[in-house]
Amino acid sequence: MTTSSPSRHRPASLTRFSVRALLFALRARAVVVLVALLILFSVLAPSFLTTNNLTILTKHIAISAILAIGMTFVVLTGGIDLSVGSVAGLGGMVAGYLLTQGVVIGGVVHYPAVALIVLLTIAVCLIAGSLNGWLVAKAGVAPFIATLGTLYIARGAALLLSNGKTFPNLAGQAARGNLGFPALGQSFFLGLPLPVWVMLALFAVAQVLAVGTPLGRHIYAVGGNERAARLAGIRVPRVKIFTYLASSFCAALVGLIIASQLEAAHPATGESFELNAIAAVVLGGTSLMGGRGSIPGSLIGAFVIGVLSDGLVMLGVSEFWQMVIKGAVIVLAVAVDQLQSRLQARFLPYLESSTAGGAE
Amino acid sequence: MSDSTVLLEARAITRRYPGTLALDDVTFKVYRNRVNVLIGENGAGKSTLVRVLAGVETADSGELLLEGAPIQVRSPREAAALGISIVHQELSVLSNLDISENIFAGREPVKAGVLLNRPEEDNRAIRALATLRKLMQVRTKAAKLSLGCRQIVEVARTLDQGARILILDEPTSALSTTETDSLFQVIEDLKRSGVTIIYISHRLHELLHLGDWFTVLRSGRVVGQAARGEVSRNWIVERMSGRAIAEPSPVYPTLPDAPVLAQAEGITLAGSRIDEAAQAPLHGVSFTLREGEILGIYGLLGSGRTELLEALVGARCLHAGRFRLKGVGVDLSSVASTAARGIVLVSEDRQRDGLIPEMSIRENIAIGDLHGFFLSRRQQLVRVRSLVRELNIVARDLELPVTSLSGGNQQKVLIARCLMRNPSLLLLDEPTRGVDVGAKAEIYHLLRRLAIQGIGILFTSSEIEETRTLADRALVLCQGRISAELSRGELTDETLFAAASPAVNTVSIPPSGVALT
Repeated sequence: MTTSSPSRHRPASLTRFSVRALLFALRARAVVVLVALLILFSVLAPSFLTTNNLTILTKHIAISAILAIGMTFVVLTGGIDLSVGSVAGLGGMVAGYLLTQGVVIGGVVHYPAVALIVLLTIAVCLIAGSLNGWLVAKAGVAPFIATLGTLYIARGAALLLSNGKTFPNLAGQAARGNLGFPALGQSFFLGLPLPVWVMLALFAVAQVLAVGTPLGRHIYAVGGNERAARLAGIRVPRVKIFTYLASSFCAALVGLIIASQLEAAHPATGESFELNAIAAVVLGGTSLMGGRGSIPGSLIGAFVIGVLSDGLVMLGVSEFWQMVIKGAVIVLAVAVDQLQSRLQARFLPYLESSTAGGAE
Repeated sequence: MSDSTVLLEARAITRRYPGTLALDDVTFKVYRNRVNVLIGENGAGKSTLVRVLAGVETADSGELLLEGAPIQVRSPREAAALGISIVHQELSVLSNLDISENIFAGREPVKAGVLLNRPEEDNRAIRALATLRKLMQVRTKAAKLSLGCRQIVEVARTLDQGARILILDEPTSALSTTETDSLFQVIEDLKRSGVTIIYISHRLHELLHLGDWFTVLRSGRVVGQAARGEVSRNWIVERMSGRAIAEPSPVYPTLPDAPVLAQAEGITLAGSRIDEAAQAPLHGVSFTLREGEILGIYGLLGSGRTELLEALVGARCLHAGRFRLKGVGVDLSSVASTAARGIVLVSEDRQRDGLIPEMSIRENIAIGDLHGFFLSRRQQLVRVRSLVRELNIVARDLELPVTSLSGGNQQKVLIARCLMRNPSLLLLDEPTRGVDVGAKAEIYHLLRRLAIQGIGILFTSSEIEETRTLADRALVLCQGRISAELSRGELTDETLFAAASPAVNTVSIPPSGVALT
């Protein structure tokens, strides 16, 4: 009951400095972990730092980073989107279907051009996103349940498109005028894979949107206090719907990239991708309660997860242990998040004592 | 009022909630460039009425007229477009955003069509705050602001919106005297600059000081309207309570030599540094409670009154302090251990911390009974029925959902739940919040009966009237410290309010020399 606390006495300036350093390290923990992992793996696995490996690594990271960026918007409003993996799978299947089966209009099979296919795929995924948004914002379904439902619907739709089979040979045919789809996932630009450029562009747009536009601020406001946001005249449903659309847009990009990289669309693609994305968002310091977090944080979170998985593979750690380690890192990240806010609350008076007078 | 015209009129407004008629054919006139005061007890319908005016709620029937022309106000946004802005009773500041972000939330100025214009926001925020004579760093996160400053932020927001009609819903319930004084200054300034004010409060001295036109609401009806010169303190009290003079509750003088029931020593609680509104600190709170005594704790919002009760029931992590019940120390580390000693709490927020809305009235009372492993429905029902009779809970059927009851009956259900445990110490946080006048009197009588039976009663209140009516003795909490202990004879508006305001020296209480009427 009578817990005496060390915070009774004012620490010397040295301790104050170490407290400051500790808090900073905790706040920037994702970066600290990322650097530590990079050093660890480059020492243990000599081939880790080769250009070839780094290219593969960034391709992997791009996938989870793109999903994480979209997911961040949803989580910032206090929601969650469990459907992104399925929607990505559906996106790939839609592209695969259009490339190999075409569209029958008036008894004649038409094969749309690749650019049109990309747009159609994104449109289909946005329908899934608008379903999520409508369920959450208008019908009042809990985000977890709404997006869980969409997860199954999208996966089912993906399986129905091919009756469970894979669409192979997505390279297209010159006769059908739909060549060029593989370039999306396989080509390079200025030495970097195209998916990495997609990730970087998305990151830039998302970051400007989050911190530089009214919509971004509304997203933070809704997550911080939905009732107060509504009273301030913010159109809460509209903001929420946007976040689910953004998330499914990102899922569509991932579905297209994977199908293009493999030159095949498999209906099971993207299973459990949502969990990777959520893990990256949480690692990046975004609160699942909403209102707190950032896009760069999620990007770094995605890097941590990507580096960790690929590094463990290179070290030859068994797949089973990989799962254990990944899980431990995620749980630890959230625990540290709680620890950080508590430590910050405890040490704040000392950090501010120089300006705000003595602490009690 | 002949020199002023009606700017806004709410005509024949009716608003029904499940179980209550919040507004019953209310016609309310708002005079231009005046402080229009709306008075009434808790649950009289004041907040509902202004929420209708501000577009937060819509009326079931009735119409709104602005300068004689009918208007539709379906959302806060539409109200703001018409120049009607509201500062809510429960402050609705976004604590994860900073001051200027809060001032412009939902109506951000943009450049190049899409991008936020931060410099303009900051400049306009500074200008609005300067008008209010409150200079603050506009990039400070709202979580770090005191309640008074948060309120100023909301007023600044309405100013920047160009509000013609500013509604202040109980703006001083959380403020200290200095903050209240500066708010009054702000109101005077606004009035001079042509803003019409609608002011809600139940603090009579404030209203008499500020108001130009008075409207009294009771149980959802307008029961009195008058201009400044015709209003006296008694006039207001009579209309508010519906009685000629507030009926003093029967006084049962506690014997000074009655045995001590409970004793608290040095209860200390660390405050939340991130958000002081979430948890106020307590510093060495000590008091004794004798058998058969009703002890009141008066304090403003954020004074630590809720925290004190929650600490005594074991729901807070104590820093230091001891609590004895009947001479034996109580383990305050968990609710289970205090419940075992017969300490129970009726919490402030019924909806959030009290009722289980999915359950019936019977079940809501019966979960107070923690004895035994299997539930004996028959025994329970007998006990519940006798409590329902004793507390005069008016319900058609005990199996109806608890949400079908009125506020007063819901509160009685919670008290009944506590009585299921045969408590020795009953703690009540704001025992009559959102309860109508009739039920209020019943609850006061009930608590008195329980005290005579020997149950110790400790209640907190932010209402002076309530503290005066109910308490045998009152402690005043101010910023987590006991700033005064007042016996029944010493309980007056002035002593209570002075002791509760942080600006006043905590030792000496100024004599109540200021006449109010």
